[in-house]
Amino acid sequence: MNLLTRIADIFGFLGHFPAYAIAYIVETLIVIIFGTVAVAGMVYLFRKYMARVQIRIGPNRVGKFGLLQVMADGLKLFQKESIMPSGRDDLAYKVAPVMVFIGLMMGFVFIPYGPLAWFGSLTVTHSDVSLVILFALIAIMPIGEILSGIASNNKYAMLGALRGVAKDISFEVPMMLSILSVVVMASANVTNPLDLNGIIQAQSIPFIILEPLGFIIFFISMIARASQSPFDMGESDSELVTGNTTEYSGLRFGMFYLGLFGTIFLGSMIVSIMYLGGYNGPEVGYLGFVWLLIKTMILVVITLTVWLSMPRVRIDKFVNFGWKILLPLSFIQLIAAGFLTLGGIA
Amino acid sequence: MENGLEKKYIELNMGPQHPSTHGVLRLKLLLDGETVKHVEPVIGYLHRNAEKICELDYYCDSLIYFDRMDYVAAMNMEIGYLEAAEKLLAIEPTERVKWIRVVMAELGRIASHLVWAGAFGLDLGMLTPFFYFFEEREKILNIFTEVSGSRQETNYMSIGGVYQDFNDKIIYKIREFLKQFPKKLEEAYSLFVKNDIFISRTKGIGILEPEVALSYGVTGPMLRASGVPYDVRKDAPYLVYDKLNFDIPISKGKDVLSRFIVRFEEMRQSVKIVQQALDKIPDGPYFNPKAKKSLMIRLRGEGDVYARTESPKGEFGVHLIGDGTVKPYRVHVRSPSFKNLSILPYLSRDVLIADMVAISGSIDLVFGEVDR
Repeated sequence: MNLLTRIADIFGFLGHFPAYAIAYIVETLIVIIFGTVAVAGMVYLFRKYMARVQIRIGPNRVGKFGLLQVMADGLKLFQKESIMPSGRDDLAYKVAPVMVFIGLMMGFVFIPYGPLAWFGSLTVTHSDVSLVILFALIAIMPIGEILSGIASNNKYAMLGALRGVAKDISFEVPMMLSILSVVVMASANVTNPLDLNGIIQAQSIPFIILEPLGFIIFFISMIARASQSPFDMGESDSELVTGNTTEYSGLRFGMFYLGLFGTIFLGSMIVSIMYLGGYNGPEVGYLGFVWLLIKTMILVVITLTVWLSMPRVRIDKFVNFGWKILLPLSFIQLIAAGFLTLGGIA
Repeated sequence: MENGLEKKYIELNMGPQHPSTHGVLRLKLLLDGETVKHVEPVIGYLHRNAEKICELDYYCDSLIYFDRMDYVAAMNMEIGYLEAAEKLLAIEPTERVKWIRVVMAELGRIASHLVWAGAFGLDLGMLTPFFYFFEEREKILNIFTEVSGSRQETNYMSIGGVYQDFNDKIIYKIREFLKQFPKKLEEAYSLFVKNDIFISRTKGIGILEPEVALSYGVTGPMLRASGVPYDVRKDAPYLVYDKLNFDIPISKGKDVLSRFIVRFEEMRQSVKIVQQALDKIPDGPYFNPKAKKSLMIRLRGEGDVYARTESPKGEFGVHLIGDGTVKPYRVHVRSPSFKNLSILPYLSRDVLIADMVAISGSIDLVFGEVDR
């Protein structure tokens, strides 16, 4: 019994189809709220953690321990006047932040959250190819970023977008290859290796042990996907002001901000599903979701530590790194995965 | 072009309100994609007419305008002015004052280099070390507050003396600072040089040959990083630098990384100097009786003097012309940041934007001093 059927039961008096339709909408809303709250929590955590690292105190005025600071900031962004540049491509300018936001939230819908206590499985929907769908959906986000850069009628924004493109194409291929090697490994044990649930079930031994190289490649790619330091060449505040988001203010900027932190959270979640066994752990049927969250938070903290301690990589060096180091390594990883699978180790 | 199209460059305006340009530097860039084809620094956004104002004031009053030139190393600026003014007015500071000034100058140098290192980290996208450096700098500023009552624009020194004598508390505070500082410095240093990304961003970037540096009039750590051991403290000692034992760090690297290393080595040397100076500081009056407060505005100077000192940015020269009245006839400042800035267009030819930012960060610009 999962959460979806429980909700559908409540609306059972409407008949089978309307009840499930409403149940899907309600659970999608729950997931979106979860995503937003998780991101807000992560922003708070990030600010507190960053403050500790930097010998500061961090937010401590709004609410107890500054817990409501993120909310206050959100409200402030909501109230702010949206100043838009003249000479912009109006439609593209307005659509871009929405694309980032939607791409992120759609990604959250396909995550297998695992079961939690009485609620049962929290997963909204699943498909036999949910892995492919997930990566197709989060591939929408860079399009929004590029669009925002082109539409802003600003040279900083355009340079930022160009860097964004150069960055994206140089890590996406190794990333997809390392995903492929995960699929190859999973195919040895389960019949649905393109399903995220199948991948989790295949990990009686977490893939981080069997494919450490793939984990590193994928983790680096996920950090680059979130375009945070050391791979924040697109935004690079000391060179291009804030890159593609330079001309955005108010709620539209808020969406990009949410996109940045949301990608870190979603990325960490995907890494923990692909390599750390997702919701696997003791008492899966009861605490699966908690395990997933714990693994995700560990990865988030590692990501933030990387963010806080690294200078920015130069864009041409990163492109070199992507094509000349990550790509060959991911091919090696793929071949190794094939051998491991044939040898029956996985 | 081969296809008959005219090649067009992107014109980009960086500053004066850009997050990476130090102070109010404005750079007009010509870009070919990411490559910088030409840089034109535009200065003057912080011009406050300091030299002219100094000509309208008594000799003792001009000091505060020098505080506000290189506002991150106000102590060194004061010494620069006083070296010239005391020569012109023929008032020798007492022995104790000279030692006190050396202590303050070296603490000011450390503070200035700490600010530079923090800002340089920001230029490269490193946020965290900035706070470590400013934490240490704040301790130095606390010492400055103790001696002068003011954090940054200290106005501590005066003609022939200082505002207030060193007492036990001040010396204790400085010693406490020196005790813990080297460890913190090494910690922050390793944060940079042990990071591969940092090395790849700085090594071999912005190579400045010594001949070029000399022909542009570049001084200070910029010049020493190119391998020229030129330091006014050694080559034309002022105050009591000839009685102190310290090295002039140079580097053969000529690049951004070696400028970084040279500045850190200078901080270590400064710690050494302060320690020696504190041990050797003699007793005596803390001002020259010829320049006590009631006589201050009656000081008259005649002649033409030029005095040079080593400020954290480079050779800081002050040219004073007195015509026998209580006010100087002409005040001119040779500011090292201004001369060092002139090398930026040369260094940033055909480099990437990211490297251009690293190079302009490595120059250590303070705009109060460039524009004056």
